[in-house]
Amino acid sequence: MAAIASIRMPGMVLLALVATGAALAAPRRDYLITGAKPDRLFVIDAAARTIKSEWSIPGANDLVATIVPSPDGRIAYVLVNKMESISGIDLDTGREVFRADLSTPGERVKCMFGFDVTPDGRELIVYELPVKLGLSEYQVEDTRFAVFDTAAGLDARPVRQFPAPRRIHTVLARKDGKSFFAFGFDLYEFDRVSGRQLGERGIRNWTYAQHSIPDLLAFWPASEPTGVFSTPVYSSVPAADGKGEVPKTALLTLDLTSGKLDYHDFEDTAALIFSTVLSPDRSEAFGVYSQLSRIDTRSNALAKRVDLDHTYYSVAVSTDGKEVYAAGAMCDVTVFDPVTLGRRANLKLPGCPDQSLASLRVVRR
Amino acid sequence: MITRTRSSLMHLLAACIASLAAGAPGQGAAAAAVPTPPGPELLRGRCGGCHLQSGGDHFARISDIRKTPEGWLMTIVRMQHLHQAQLSAEERDTLVRYLADTQGLAPAETAPARYALERRPNVKDLQLPGDLQTMCARCHSAARIALQRRDAQDWLKHVHWHLAQWPTIEYQQNARDRLWWQKATTEVPQELGKLFPLHSQAWADWSQRPHADLSGTWLVHGHEPGQGDYWGVATIARTGDDEYRQTYALDTAAGEHVSGESKVILYTGFEWRGSGTRAAREVHEVYALSEDGGSLSGRWFEAAHPEIGADWQAVRAGPAQLLAVNPSALRTGAAARVIVLGSGLDGAVSFGPGTHSRVLERTAHSLSVEVRVDAAATPGYRQVSVGRLSAGQLFAVYDKVTRLEVSPAFAIARLGGGRIDPVAAQFDALAYTDLAGADGVTAVRLGYLPVRWSVQPYDQQARAAQDEKFAGRIDGTGRFLPAAAGPNPQRKFSGNNAGDLAVEASLEDMAPAVTGKAHLIVTVQRWNNPPIY
Ligand code: HEC
Ligand code: HEC
Repeated sequence: MAAIASIRMPGMVLLALVATGAALAAPRRDYLITGAKPDRLFVIDAAARTIKSEWSIPGANDLVATIVPSPDGRIAYVLVNKMESISGIDLDTGREVFRADLSTPGERVKCMFGFDVTPDGRELIVYELPVKLGLSEYQVEDTRFAVFDTAAGLDARPVRQFPAPRRIHTVLARKDGKSFFAFGFDLYEFDRVSGRQLGERGIRNWTYAQHSIPDLLAFWPASEPTGVFSTPVYSSVPAADGKGEVPKTALLTLDLTSGKLDYHDFEDTAALIFSTVLSPDRSEAFGVYSQLSRIDTRSNALAKRVDLDHTYYSVAVSTDGKEVYAAGAMCDVTVFDPVTLGRRANLKLPGCPDQSLASLRVVRR
Repeated sequence: MITRTRSSLMHLLAACIASLAAGAPGQGAAAAAVPTPPGPELLRGRCGGCHLQSGGDHFARISDIRKTPEGWLMTIVRMQHLHQAQLSAEERDTLVRYLADTQGLAPAETAPARYALERRPNVKDLQLPGDLQTMCARCHSAARIALQRRDAQDWLKHVHWHLAQWPTIEYQQNARDRLWWQKATTEVPQELGKLFPLHSQAWADWSQRPHADLSGTWLVHGHEPGQGDYWGVATIARTGDDEYRQTYALDTAAGEHVSGESKVILYTGFEWRGSGTRAAREVHEVYALSEDGGSLSGRWFEAAHPEIGADWQAVRAGPAQLLAVNPSALRTGAAARVIVLGSGLDGAVSFGPGTHSRVLERTAHSLSVEVRVDAAATPGYRQVSVGRLSAGQLFAVYDKVTRLEVSPAFAIARLGGGRIDPVAAQFDALAYTDLAGADGVTAVRLGYLPVRWSVQPYDQQARAAQDEKFAGRIDGTGRFLPAAAGPNPQRKFSGNNAGDLAVEASLEDMAPAVTGKAHLIVTVQRWNNPPIY
């Protein structure tokens, strides 16, 4: 414990200085937000290694999936209820302050994990897969984006809708608030207001010399603390001896401020990675699944890899970059040293609820 | 999420599949006091609320599809499960019969995929052309699709339902690498509509034919893997429209007498679905009546273990014919009692050059013959003749077995545990003598001889993990009995009892011993067991 405290102190001093003016405000600290079945939402004080609050999400219906915190870190928007509802939970009181039930009588609407909140916190952009429920047939309708006003309360209806490509898995608002990105077959950018497609960059149609069509499927939209989203991408290149293919893992990054998209192989695929996160200075990325990997983003090489005690889906890093967190798949959150990748602490969620695909997010307040 | 809906539904389906024959309505004391309304009335009353009736007798969707009895059953169970369609078990049986009779598949249309109806284990699934295989047969068999008929328009509706029901489909591996939805809604229904169309000449013809009456005496023969050949006589009695009761008495190669009986419904004029008991075993029968009405063929299997069962061939007793000879081969210098099965078995008996035969007993449908083979007899098939009847490949003489063919060559067995039974794998070894002649090698089939069974690790990795020790054991009949599922602390990483094994049959009374091999994967439990996998 002493060791942890000594690591924590300098960071807090620094933050106290930054927060000049707010004389009485408590020093800002990192809270981890994660969820679990059947309806759990956890707020964890990262440094104190304690669960600050455990909330119940109404009508979660045994699913707690993507979690998107509001920019001020006060509300968590959570995909629940067979992927058919987004519930906004006040992290301080546990009260449901926002609710969008996507389905209506006659139309079943699911969100395949892709939604985000705009940087001003005013709107949610949600990727929708609608199905018309006929008397004796179901009709899959075109996918679309629906925009919700976060102030709409508990019966939010879309304020705008516009067409979307199929097979989108990640939606990310651009930091200037004017547009948003969506990853699917390719990377698309849309005007937030008009829905007009502003750009399309190759993923399926990438132009990465020698590389096969890549495989990219990400259900973990975290981009904190850097504002740069990152994810592994799998492809292959012809083997040097001309026989067969060599599988490659690349780290893909999308800067949500500049819009810069980048990808570089960092290894011949040797481990499956579900999600990655960039360190605050962007010089490293951490990835999890059955192993924890550290990737050097300057040399585009694997720097270190350790086996984990179990599979984790979701990875996060503290705002100061001094800790790495892994969660998802099971019922605990584990804290790692970013240099040695050794375990520092482990927090069991009470009752061991299944976190499954729930996001792990960091809010600083 | 997918697995949960699917497995509880499949549990329900498995429980009611027996009703395809066992619950034959209108039989004996169990008949309902209130008669079940006929098919059309049930369609209107139980389905018509959602499937709107138009143009007289057309019900939306329902009238646009043809399926097997199992196909209709699966759909109606789904209607109950997903859409809360309300109907009693008797009503469901009636409706399945009505729909299979009026919107079934003709015999020829079911032929390529009957293995699925017969629940044959370890059969290679039929291959759909082009990309259809990856688009449509990666979650379930291609047979499930090949056993239905619709036009492109309704195939398209079916594709819509798939994605509506499982929105993850287009995100899954082998789907997200292509424009899944675009293909699934354009090429796929077009191709399916051509391969498996609603209207066909075969069905137009078959559906006009009056249903045959199966009553009478039938001669039966078959082979049960691991147990050997059997033969005998079955009596089929009509108990109602397309309903029968069958009793049979069989002899087996092992010298046992087996009797059994079953209640049968004949769907679509040819789809025999029986259930009953065979000795002490509860079995289901899935047979097809030939188009000429003269023979029945298919497979019976244990109700609780469809992987255990056997072929069944039956022909009407009457027309003079030679059906089977058992044993089907004798070694040079040997003598044995041989059974000949058939009708009109009158006149002199011969087993061909180098053999001597003496009839010991004649019954209406069989001969018992003592056959002696000269030590110097030439190996090869023999013409067996009885009076004016003769057959060329029912019997052979051999001096050595040169090859053992183990079947299946590749098999999967599944671990058991909890409420899930293990799934065994039954192997069988067919002996051949390969004779070199002027025009190449002739494979002469000798039949099933007793062999010794063993399992070894399949490769280096399996050897290191000692799969042969953990995955289960093989018994003297060639049946592999898998171990229990779940983490095993004795194994590395507490792995489960999965294994990769080589199965070997060895015939030791040949010198040197003749062996045959197969590959066996012992894997995890299967959570569902639908009538058409
Ligand atoms: C409460 C409404 C409802 C009732 C009652 C109902 N169905 Fe359906 N049925 C549907 C819907 C909705 C679909 C389309 C979605 C699906 O396939 O599950 C459908 C689809 C079907 C299909 C097409 C399935 C396929 O394979 O593509 C068939 C055939 C069918 N129903 C038969 C029946 C029969 C027979 C009954 C009466 C026993 C029945 N249904 C009762 C709602 C109903
Ligand atoms: C993601 C897995 C998956 C894929 C891919 C898939 N299916 Fe299925 N299909 C299912 C499941 C599960 C069922 C069982 C539905 C039930 O009975 O509840 C089913 C049932 C069916 C049935 C029988 C249902 C009935 O009521 O008649 C047919 C026919 C069928 N599928 C055809 C297709 C075709 C054609 C395609 C390709 C477009 C396809 N399937 C692709 C999962 C899949």
